[in-house]
Amino acid sequence: MLELAILIILTIAAALSYWDRRFSLALSLLAIFAASVILPLAPLLTLVAFLGIIFLLVIKNNQIAGVDYVMVAFMLVVTVLAFVVKDLALLLTLFVAASVPTYLLVMIGDKLNIDIGIKYVTFMVLATILFIIGAALTYYGYEERSPLYIAGFLILLTGLCLEVGIAPVHEWVPDVFASADPVPVSIIASLAKFVPFVVAYKIFLVTANPLTAQLLFVVAIVSAISMFVGNIAALTSYEPSRILAYSTVANMGYILAAFSAIMSKELIYFALAGVLLQLFVNSFGKIGFFASIKGGGTSSLYSWILGVSFIGIPPLMGFWSKFFIIYALVFSNYVWLAIILILNSAISVPYYVRLSRILGTGWRRNIANTTALISAAAMLITVIPPTWFVDLVTMARW
Amino acid sequence: MIEVLAILFLAPIFSSIPIAIAWGIEPRPRWAEKLSYLSVFGLFLSLLASLYLLIYLGELSPEAKPIKYTIEWIPALNINFVFIFDYLSRIMGVLTALIAFLIGVYGLEYMRNDYRLGWYWFFFNLFTASMLLTVYSDNMLLLFIGWEGLGLASWGLIGHWFRDDDELSYVGNVGRKIWKLNMFWTPSFAGWRAISTIRIGDMPMFFAIAAFFVLTGTLNISEIDWHGLEGKVGTVGIVILITAFSMGLFAKSAQLPFSDWLMTAMTGPTTVSALLHSATMVAAGTYIFMRLSWYIEPWKFHGHGYEYVYILVLFLGLASALYGALVAAGCLERKVLLAASTMSSLGLMFASTATCYWVGKIGILVGFWYLVTHAFAKATLFLVAGHLIHETHDRFCVGDFEVAKHLKLAFIATVAATLSLSGIPPLTAYWVKSGMDGVMHALEHELGYLPLVLLILTSMVYSGFLAKFLSLNFIKGKHVHIHPHGGKLMEISYTAMFLMLFLLLAIYITSYEKPFKEFHHEGFLPSSIAVGILVLAAYIFALYKPQIKSKVGEFLGDRMYLPFLNDLIVAKFGWVLSTLSDYGNRFIDFMCHKAVPKLFEIYSNGTRMIQSGNINTYIKIAVAFVFIVVLIAAGW
Repeated sequence: MLELAILIILTIAAALSYWDRRFSLALSLLAIFAASVILPLAPLLTLVAFLGIIFLLVIKNNQIAGVDYVMVAFMLVVTVLAFVVKDLALLLTLFVAASVPTYLLVMIGDKLNIDIGIKYVTFMVLATILFIIGAALTYYGYEERSPLYIAGFLILLTGLCLEVGIAPVHEWVPDVFASADPVPVSIIASLAKFVPFVVAYKIFLVTANPLTAQLLFVVAIVSAISMFVGNIAALTSYEPSRILAYSTVANMGYILAAFSAIMSKELIYFALAGVLLQLFVNSFGKIGFFASIKGGGTSSLYSWILGVSFIGIPPLMGFWSKFFIIYALVFSNYVWLAIILILNSAISVPYYVRLSRILGTGWRRNIANTTALISAAAMLITVIPPTWFVDLVTMARW
Repeated sequence: MIEVLAILFLAPIFSSIPIAIAWGIEPRPRWAEKLSYLSVFGLFLSLLASLYLLIYLGELSPEAKPIKYTIEWIPALNINFVFIFDYLSRIMGVLTALIAFLIGVYGLEYMRNDYRLGWYWFFFNLFTASMLLTVYSDNMLLLFIGWEGLGLASWGLIGHWFRDDDELSYVGNVGRKIWKLNMFWTPSFAGWRAISTIRIGDMPMFFAIAAFFVLTGTLNISEIDWHGLEGKVGTVGIVILITAFSMGLFAKSAQLPFSDWLMTAMTGPTTVSALLHSATMVAAGTYIFMRLSWYIEPWKFHGHGYEYVYILVLFLGLASALYGALVAAGCLERKVLLAASTMSSLGLMFASTATCYWVGKIGILVGFWYLVTHAFAKATLFLVAGHLIHETHDRFCVGDFEVAKHLKLAFIATVAATLSLSGIPPLTAYWVKSGMDGVMHALEHELGYLPLVLLILTSMVYSGFLAKFLSLNFIKGKHVHIHPHGGKLMEISYTAMFLMLFLLLAIYITSYEKPFKEFHHEGFLPSSIAVGILVLAAYIFALYKPQIKSKVGEFLGDRMYLPFLNDLIVAKFGWVLSTLSDYGNRFIDFMCHKAVPKLFEIYSNGTRMIQSGNINTYIKIAVAFVFIVVLIAAGW
């Protein structure tokens, strides 16, 4: 019932934005805070959405001003719901619903950006089709363990890769990240990443059978490729938004790596905690860095906190997420993948340092810098060792 | 007992600390020079302690049961401070302490105006204490501590004149060069040569000690079941173990091919050379071999492994003896000549001791008493040489009868020492040498006449170069101007030293105990007398014609080019290692700074090249990937 109420609020907010944007802003904020009670993990997701909405204030005179807040709030509600629902049709609907708002958001900014919109939408449409076809085939074939299941699994995986930007089909990511406005890109890079992984995970889990363990090997290979492509390509990039694009490719690789461990009942919550925490690291980090880009630099303290967290140094969030993933991998006999992950963390050091130095030019009082500050602060919540996060993951209604 | 041991080992060290500290405070403190006397007093206390051990510990006879004294160290591992007082150690201890004391007295005058007395006395006394520790230790680990103390102190003393500013302290002809090798050595380089050569022997020795412990559970030489050990590790095992252990002994006692450090060790003060060559350091190697043989008792069970080792030691000793004698014959530097002669003597000690495998304990006793005789004679000669260098300001053999007239005592001492050491009947060494002839002769059945022939040959050359030393320094040498310096203390100490030779002679002639009665027996054999006459003939010939200039003599004087092994060939190993490691470093540098970054760059640029901005390309890649995935699925 709450979900329905929130959707109604959002509808009203969208309508009222024609009259005055401030109504839409207030109602969107109300909606995201309301959504935070749906499940234990939701408050953190709300924080991500909140940062997105705050950041949108930097371009408050954009082409769809008013509706943009509603879209972010809508994406949040969809994301929260994706954790809750179990039905395939609903899951696929949520997948599309989380994706579609970004088609519009990617084009907004200080000036309309149609070209990049087309590029992005083309990829997303391809991704969505493959994802849905894959899901359908997987469901159809898993009981007989037929070749259709294998095809479905792999096509679903391809759809996922296209959607979130995993190598070798990551080509849209650097172009979009470098050309679009930092504000919508930060939303695409953060909030939009949760639903594809959650939906894919649920489908993999429901359709799991003895063949899945073998298919997870392909997942492991793809994730390794993505890590290497992302990290190494970032090494020679000097433009911050490009570095962030390749960093996203690498981070999606880390997350996909954790999927290799989902067949193990004992480790599943560590793997999931790793996936979700890495998604949060990526979200706060990307929002923080893009906010720094938009704000023309930020305090070097914040930029270094963000960079160091991405590198994975304790007690920052980035350490724990990688720790959970590596832990899950080591104990599910994917030691080689864990080693590759560690190697990649080492490879990533130079470009995160570079990024922190380029962007840490000094604090300025503006909304973008405030966003960066909150993002950096969020990285510090794991100063309390995040066993609590594993508990939150366990409590979610999977 | 523990008080005696404390005085024995610690008195020399503690008594030398004040002067070392004084020199540490000030570069050259006048007020502290008298502290030298304190150091010598420490040596004197040590001598008293060793005499106590000689006299008051029951019967002194080769057959007496050894007395042991244990202080717990690591009882759980059966490793303790075990001191042993047997025939060998009690005599050797007194010998060491006495000679060290006499040389200490000599040093009071000889080193009076030195610029580094703190350093000198500290290392001199440490040298003595280390030797005493080596002598009295039964436990091999304890022995090894003394052993390494000797190495350290020898480095300190040989390189004592570390500034290399006085040509009088060099060895070799300054400026002489053969091919790529400088044929002269400075004190600092000689110190380095000594310690680096010795370490080559010490490393296998240390591993052998560890192996003994692992295999037998004890480190006490007198308790190890040497016979059972052969049963445990087999013939080859014994050969490897004992040879590895003996490497340390060979290196320290300057046997071939480790000998060259000893020749250049003459860069140290003459007192150091005297001590190093008579009763410490080089004697330590032969002494430990005697001690080892004493308790292995190979003549009792005739193990095959031991036989190979004893044959090796026998012939290595004889070869070194002949080499040393020939080099001494070709050498014109006072101290280097004596150094080569020491090497020769050490070879004879090794060889005689090694005969024990066939002839029994008498072999060890012959070697041991030769060591004692040699120690006094050689110390006398070195001290005289030091005095001569002081008076003539020349380290080469120079001097005519003028010198003998001015330095009467030095002349008498040299005559007495050379005659006594040559083995001319009926003087001191003759009796021991006769014993040596006897044991070598006894090998006829197993090894033929070769050992005996080598021994006689060595003895003749040996006697010849001793006469040459006498002749070139006092009779037929170049005329030289003498700078009188006083030198009373020096004269007293070498007089005391050569008088000890006559004391020994008295013991040899009058005593009827083992081994002296065997010496008498051998000494009155016609064959021994014949050898004695040959030796006398060589002596007289060399006295008459001390120098024959020839290419052969030059070759011998250049030590048969053995320095090349030390300074070029072995050094090349180090060079090869360092070159290899340099290449290794460069490879790592290349990988880290060039290759890997370049690879990353190429790969990175390649990945980024896909980013043309052209959506057609992107779609093609995506579609291709989809097809590959479908193919994989189909293939599955």
